[in-house]
Amino acid sequence: MAEPTTTDRATAPGLSLERPWAARAVGLAKVYGQGNTRVVALDRVDVGFEAARLTAIMGPSGSGKSTLLHCMAGLDQPTEGQVWIGDTLISDLNDRKLTLLRRQRLGFVFQAFNLVPTLTAAENIDLPLLLAGREPDAEWRSQVVESLRLGDRLHHQPDELSGGQQQRVAVARALINRPDIVFADEPTGNLDTGSSHEVLACLRSAVDDWHQTVAMVTHDPGAAAHADLVLFLRDGRLVGRLEQPTATLVLDRLKELEG
Amino acid sequence: MGIVLRLSMRNLAASRLRVALTTFAVLLGVSFVVASFVLTDGLLDTFDTIIEEANAEVDAEVRARSDFDEVQFTARPIDEALVGVVRAVDGVAAAEPATQSMKIVPVRADGEPIRTTGAPILSFNWSDSPLDPLTLVEGQAPAGPGQFVIDQGTADREGLVVGGTYDVIGAAGREPFQLVGLSRFGDANSLGGAILVSYTLDELQRLDGSEGLIQWIAVGAEAGVEPDVLVERLEAALPDDVEAVTGEVVVQEGQDAFSGFIRIFGNILLGFALVAVFVSTFIIANTFNILLSQRVRQLGLLRALGASSRQVRASALVEALIVGLVASVLGLGFGVLLAFGLRAIMDALGFGLPAIDVVMSARTVVVAVAVGVGVTLAASLIPARRAASVPPVATLRSGYRFGAGEGARRTTFGLGLGVLGAVGMGVGLFGGIDETVLLLVCVAGGAVLVFVALSMLAPLFSSPSAAALGAPLEHLPGRRITGHMARGNAARNNVRTASTATGLMIGLALIAMATVVADSLKASVRAELRSTLTADLVVSQSFGGNFSSELVGELDAIPGLAQVAPLRFGVVRIDGTETGFTATDLTQLTEVFDIDVREGDPASVADPGHVIVTRDTATDRGLGVGDPLTVEFAATGVQTLTVGAIYTNDFILGDYVIDLSAWDANVDSRDDGMIVATLAPGAEIAATDAAVAALADTFPNLEFETRDEFRERFEGELDSLLVIINVFLGLAIVIALLGITNTMALSVLERTREIGLMRAVGMTRRQTRSLIRLEAGVVSLFGALLGVVVGLVFGWLAVVAIPESAIDRLSLPVAPLVWYVVAATAAGLVAASFPARRAARLDVLDAIAQG
Repeated sequence: MAEPTTTDRATAPGLSLERPWAARAVGLAKVYGQGNTRVVALDRVDVGFEAARLTAIMGPSGSGKSTLLHCMAGLDQPTEGQVWIGDTLISDLNDRKLTLLRRQRLGFVFQAFNLVPTLTAAENIDLPLLLAGREPDAEWRSQVVESLRLGDRLHHQPDELSGGQQQRVAVARALINRPDIVFADEPTGNLDTGSSHEVLACLRSAVDDWHQTVAMVTHDPGAAAHADLVLFLRDGRLVGRLEQPTATLVLDRLKELEG
Repeated sequence: MGIVLRLSMRNLAASRLRVALTTFAVLLGVSFVVASFVLTDGLLDTFDTIIEEANAEVDAEVRARSDFDEVQFTARPIDEALVGVVRAVDGVAAAEPATQSMKIVPVRADGEPIRTTGAPILSFNWSDSPLDPLTLVEGQAPAGPGQFVIDQGTADREGLVVGGTYDVIGAAGREPFQLVGLSRFGDANSLGGAILVSYTLDELQRLDGSEGLIQWIAVGAEAGVEPDVLVERLEAALPDDVEAVTGEVVVQEGQDAFSGFIRIFGNILLGFALVAVFVSTFIIANTFNILLSQRVRQLGLLRALGASSRQVRASALVEALIVGLVASVLGLGFGVLLAFGLRAIMDALGFGLPAIDVVMSARTVVVAVAVGVGVTLAASLIPARRAASVPPVATLRSGYRFGAGEGARRTTFGLGLGVLGAVGMGVGLFGGIDETVLLLVCVAGGAVLVFVALSMLAPLFSSPSAAALGAPLEHLPGRRITGHMARGNAARNNVRTASTATGLMIGLALIAMATVVADSLKASVRAELRSTLTADLVVSQSFGGNFSSELVGELDAIPGLAQVAPLRFGVVRIDGTETGFTATDLTQLTEVFDIDVREGDPASVADPGHVIVTRDTATDRGLGVGDPLTVEFAATGVQTLTVGAIYTNDFILGDYVIDLSAWDANVDSRDDGMIVATLAPGAEIAATDAAVAALADTFPNLEFETRDEFRERFEGELDSLLVIINVFLGLAIVIALLGITNTMALSVLERTREIGLMRAVGMTRRQTRSLIRLEAGVVSLFGALLGVVVGLVFGWLAVVAIPESAIDRLSLPVAPLVWYVVAATAAGLVAASFPARRAARLDVLDAIAQG
């Protein structure tokens, strides 16, 4: 593999940076179980997500891509290594501070069970702000809602929305607090092609129109093609990167990895 | 509205049915608490009014002076001639002699004496003066010999009509009287179920056997004379052993006497209510736990989106708070209805409770809300804590176990609580605490801790137990597979099985304990009767009242009876403490009772100067034969008696026995409380029976019983008491069953997909139903068995702790205990019917699509 990887830059976190990192990790490791059942999900990975870009993370099942995302997002505790969101070293934060960080500076889109079923779409969108006891910025909120074409769906319960609509509500929620970075974990995993495309277009336009940062785990080369950069993982290690991907290029690279 | 509150409300709304069932469990407990307060307050209010109205015109009362707290056994009559003395006092407008008797019984037209279920038949002397609380509502007042008036309620119930002739049984036996009118007491038709009969004073005294004596004089003051002044003047004119008190004091004493009784009754109700509340705590905790565990992914999502663990906990607690508030408010309303229902039931059972008004005191509202909200919040603390510790990743990965990793901590904590509870109970039962409140706190608090500890330790063995108890299900004909799966399901979640079974465990433990104690008491009494009471015939008043001593003479005249010994029961003060004593013919005592004399000879000290005491008393007080014992009688004051003998068996007799001659010297009354008699050797049984039967006819108000009949009646009364206790404890069982319904409903919800799969592969609706029911049956059986085991231990402890004079042996009532377990298990099966039906109705495809 002749491709340069991001590890070159990430290995020297103290050095001045060509591009600002929205999030990065050094020596990130995650080990599950002990003895015979010991599984190394991440094997001392150095990685960064550049600001105002859509980065996709790909890899075969069990490559550690979801674990990477969860650890970077502060949802899961790494076994080893350090994670920064912007300049904040989150490995040191206690539960309270980590909660505040998630609330104020991160956005999440998950594959399934993304919305609180007892709240309306509008309430779900505002949830991070409501939890923080803050008022939504009305202008930003209407921009987001409009851009995601949710205006007529705001007062519906999640179970009255289609899968694609639900996921767009989730994207709106992830964007509502103008986060430093949005983590999306297989956001199209449960959707049909049409809905997938809608959701990906939303994420794309968040990056292009609003300079938001998105890190997305996916196993769908078509989805990865929406990204600016694709990172490839295998066996808990970062094994490649692909700038300006297309579905075909991604597929080829995946075949290489699995082959 | 804050997001926390909004989430709580929506979550409650989303699981309405489960929440409703939980609310109902809290509501039942709260209602019972409210009912006990409302009923007590209402009765107090009613009786206060009755007594106030009855004494409205009384400015002062003249009566025998007594500083004894106990009144029934120490009351003394005064000389009727004092009425003249009182009337002559300056400022007295009216003075009415009053006496009352509980020894006179009117007989219905069919020859059956009038009976009550606990309240006495009170006979008064009639007077037209406004000082008399009775008013005539029909006919005339009794004006001469052979006339009487009865209260309207009794006349209606017993079919007595004005103008009719009915027998009245007095001191001299039956004689015909004419009913000349009907009366009412104040505004009430009845007085706590008592039957009120009036005669002229002379007739009443003759029937009572107290000619020339009265019990008190009601005094009305002339206008402008203050009651205090009147009392002072009366005191000056009266002899030293007679006192005058104001009408206010009389009202207060009357109210206190009633309120004491009503409060005890109220506290007993409250005790049962608290048991119900306690059981509902476990139901709430369990339900919240399951509800929250089913929301784990949502909780994780909230955490991922930036909800702090405090917010998550707050949201769970707010849910509990709302449930508690709703249950409390509903419980207040429901409790009032329950209070009226209870009153009506008790009235119907013959306790004769007057109608009550709703008295909703601030205390009732505060306690209802405090209990409802407090219990719900307390019960949800642990589930809320668990909810708060759900990590954000729980929303991403399946398989997060709610409350995981608590096992060891729970066990340690449970062991600690168990030890603490056992120590509390130990101190309470065996620590020799005299303070009743402290004792109750120790025992009840200890028991509560033990129950909580058991619920925490039960998960250690609930799964293997359920598997073992469910083993027979594997062999159910035609239901092998459902039996097999039900057994597996019951053993699947050890914590849930344990906490579902806990409610049932508590209810059954208490019932089993009550049954063991009652059975042991019965066995002890049976043994005592066999060993101590050697007499063949026992005469008593079924309600423990006294009767004329003329009966002794009549029994003595029956040739077949050898010894005939009357027993009289009184109260004296020894060392400042009022204590009961018995008087009898000491020359005959050892013939009718086997009292196991250790020292001295009772027959040789049958004189006014001696007392015989039990060995325990002698040891406690350091007394030996020949030692002096200072005793204070109500009538004659301090007397010094000499200990004449020491005996062991105190059954019926108590710790102190004096001779009838000593009684006559120190007590005014000549009435007997009981008569025991032995058959003469070689007596003709048939002739003796006939003679006794003839006497029983003349005195239908008395029980003439053989020793066995006496014992059976006693055991019958104990059995009725046990039934009442168990019915009240049954409420706790009902709540526990609600808990089973709730848990099973939640389990069905949780296993929707699983049930759908099984239906898809060919499980019929019937099989699905029996699967759910059988699982509930196994869990119930586990709870019931655990409860009975705990109840046996508690019962055994109680039997050991209760003084040997009351209970001296442990008796295990196997049949009722087995029956309780069977009934509880069956009830558990029934409780699961509703969730079972729901499970069976699930749409197969929908069910599989879920999850």
